[in-house]
Amino acid sequence: MALWMEPGSDPTTERERADLDAISAIKDSSTLELKEKGNEYVKMGKKHYSDAIDCYTRAINQKALNDHENSLIYSNRAHVNLLLGNYRRALEDAEEAIKLSSTNVKAFYRAAKASLSLNLLTEATSFCRKGLELSPSNEELKKLAVQVDSRKSEIENREAQVSKAMTTARNLASALEKRDLKLGKTMYQELTGVKKPVLDKNSILHWPVLLLYAEVMSSDFIEDFCETDMFSTHLDMMFSDSDPSLPWDKEGAYTWKSIELYYESGSGIILSKREVLRYLLEGTAGSLVKSIGDDDEKESDLYSNHSLTSGKGSGKWIKVNEKKTLHDILQQPNFIIPGIPVFYVVSNCSPFYKEFKAGKWALP
Amino acid sequence: MATEAEELIGFLSSPSPQIKKMAVDIVRGLTGSEDGLLSLTRHSDIVLPSLSALLGEKKEISEPAAEALVNLSQNPELSEKMVRVGMVKTAMEFLYNQDSGIRRLLVMLLLNLTQSDAGIASLLQLEDEKVQGLYISKLVRSFCRSSSEAKEYPFEHVGSILVNISKMEAGRKILLDPKRGLLKQILPQFDSTSLLRKKGVSGTIRNCCFEAENQLQNLLLISEFLWPALLLPVAGKKAYRKEDTSKMPLELGNVLSHEREPVDDPDIRVQALEAIYLIALQEAGRRALWSVNGPRIMQVGYEDEEDPKVMEAYEQIGSLLVHEGGAEEPSEQMSK
Repeated sequence: MALWMEPGSDPTTERERADLDAISAIKDSSTLELKEKGNEYVKMGKKHYSDAIDCYTRAINQKALNDHENSLIYSNRAHVNLLLGNYRRALEDAEEAIKLSSTNVKAFYRAAKASLSLNLLTEATSFCRKGLELSPSNEELKKLAVQVDSRKSEIENREAQVSKAMTTARNLASALEKRDLKLGKTMYQELTGVKKPVLDKNSILHWPVLLLYAEVMSSDFIEDFCETDMFSTHLDMMFSDSDPSLPWDKEGAYTWKSIELYYESGSGIILSKREVLRYLLEGTAGSLVKSIGDDDEKESDLYSNHSLTSGKGSGKWIKVNEKKTLHDILQQPNFIIPGIPVFYVVSNCSPFYKEFKAGKWALP
Repeated sequence: MATEAEELIGFLSSPSPQIKKMAVDIVRGLTGSEDGLLSLTRHSDIVLPSLSALLGEKKEISEPAAEALVNLSQNPELSEKMVRVGMVKTAMEFLYNQDSGIRRLLVMLLLNLTQSDAGIASLLQLEDEKVQGLYISKLVRSFCRSSSEAKEYPFEHVGSILVNISKMEAGRKILLDPKRGLLKQILPQFDSTSLLRKKGVSGTIRNCCFEAENQLQNLLLISEFLWPALLLPVAGKKAYRKEDTSKMPLELGNVLSHEREPVDDPDIRVQALEAIYLIALQEAGRRALWSVNGPRIMQVGYEDEEDPKVMEAYEQIGSLLVHEGGAEEPSEQMSK
């Protein structure tokens, strides 16, 4: 029996043809054996997964089987690849399996699963849908479809949150810009946390405002100071006669009549537009967004001429007229808002007053 | 054959100054009568350019020409035609000619032309984004300069032009734009003693307050100027007690601690109240009104009021403020 032939010689006799068929039958059966072997390996557990892959690969390379059988082998290899976490390969195998046999439900399932792991959600959905068309009652596919959907809505939710945070921040930034307000680096973050101004539905700004008693460096906080409010409105409430005086104020020097409010002029460097946006995004869903619109960059130099006017912490104390609104004061050209507005409270009845007025006091 | 009218109009372009002068005087006369107006209307294609060509001449010629145009522009049809042929631009150019002696007439011409939407659009320069609002800015600047000195100040009627343009949304946008800061310049003109000027300002603010729903911030952020113009005319004439004025900003408190001349014109009071009403419809607007002790001012003003029309306007606002529970406090919390 001639197991090999001279090149070019065709099987001619009846006998030779029969022999060839026999060889090919052996090849088939050995391919199927390889497939079985592969399946065995899979059952044997993790350590043997790579052997299984090897068997499947060899079986495929023999190119001896029909499309349907090949589809099963590809789909099996996809399964092992999934188990190994080779999602990209698993997806390729499953897709190949589908190409070879468009009724291979398992292949659809595996393709969907791999897609989900690769975060290709549109593809995952489409594989699930096609799989379910073939086998509408397939519980596993249904479960997977639900999983894909919930992942989708999770992502959409997060994106919506980020975009909402971005919109809020952008609106705020443009409100600041329209008002010609200048934002500087945050001071006293330990006292204020991540508090930010809020725009109400009428586009009016509400600021959190920090009052610092310079003499003792203790603080008071006004949660909601509407920009159209006068200072006196808030001081009225804080220093009403019925309220007990401040616990540290043993002399009773800090009363409505005796207090004066100051802000520090031109202290700090004005933030660029981009920095303002980043500051406004702090502590929101948008805080991790990396690219804050490249289009903003070119405008950042718009601010550079502003910063010329800002000396470095050479702060001069400017007295606040408490009959003015917050907006009136913030709008002063020399007011650089340190994250949120900060005002310094001193009492003209306290011995400290003289020192403060003489400019001898500086921020600790 | 040329008709008499055609012949006459032809003389407007005569090289001889004397003939021109005579022709333009006759044309001006014609614009004063119904019949004359009718025959000129028929030839408007020639009359309008011929007359506007004379606006740059010496005063003895340009004045009757401008008067004729002002008269003609009272006719809506002719006014629209003038707008179409660019009369707004022509008037603006001659208005800011160095030695124009006919400014008052040109302003009146613009006033007539801005009766129509097309005229307003033309004065706002809506068709060209780059120059939009430039004419208005110029007019506002002139309006606000040297208000009291001359009795016949040529720009007095600009206030009425502003009322016209603020009837249109695009006009309100331009007036309220904080970058241009026009309303901020206009508001203090309410202090003027001229009733025409006062009316112009109060009409303009009232129209602008129709934007309160969308642009409240642009109104409230100039509250230093806004509240005096709105609240002082409706504050009555009595001197306020210290406990009331102490809760007001200085621009209100200082004035209200003395007796004042009342604002005689009820229309101005109604307009101011309507404007306040539009602001108070908004939550932040009510808060701002409370924060300057506005409700107290209106309470006192209402007690002095005798005109039923104005009283009604007070009551309308009152109904808004009562819902706040009559509390002394501004609405405690803004919705966040």
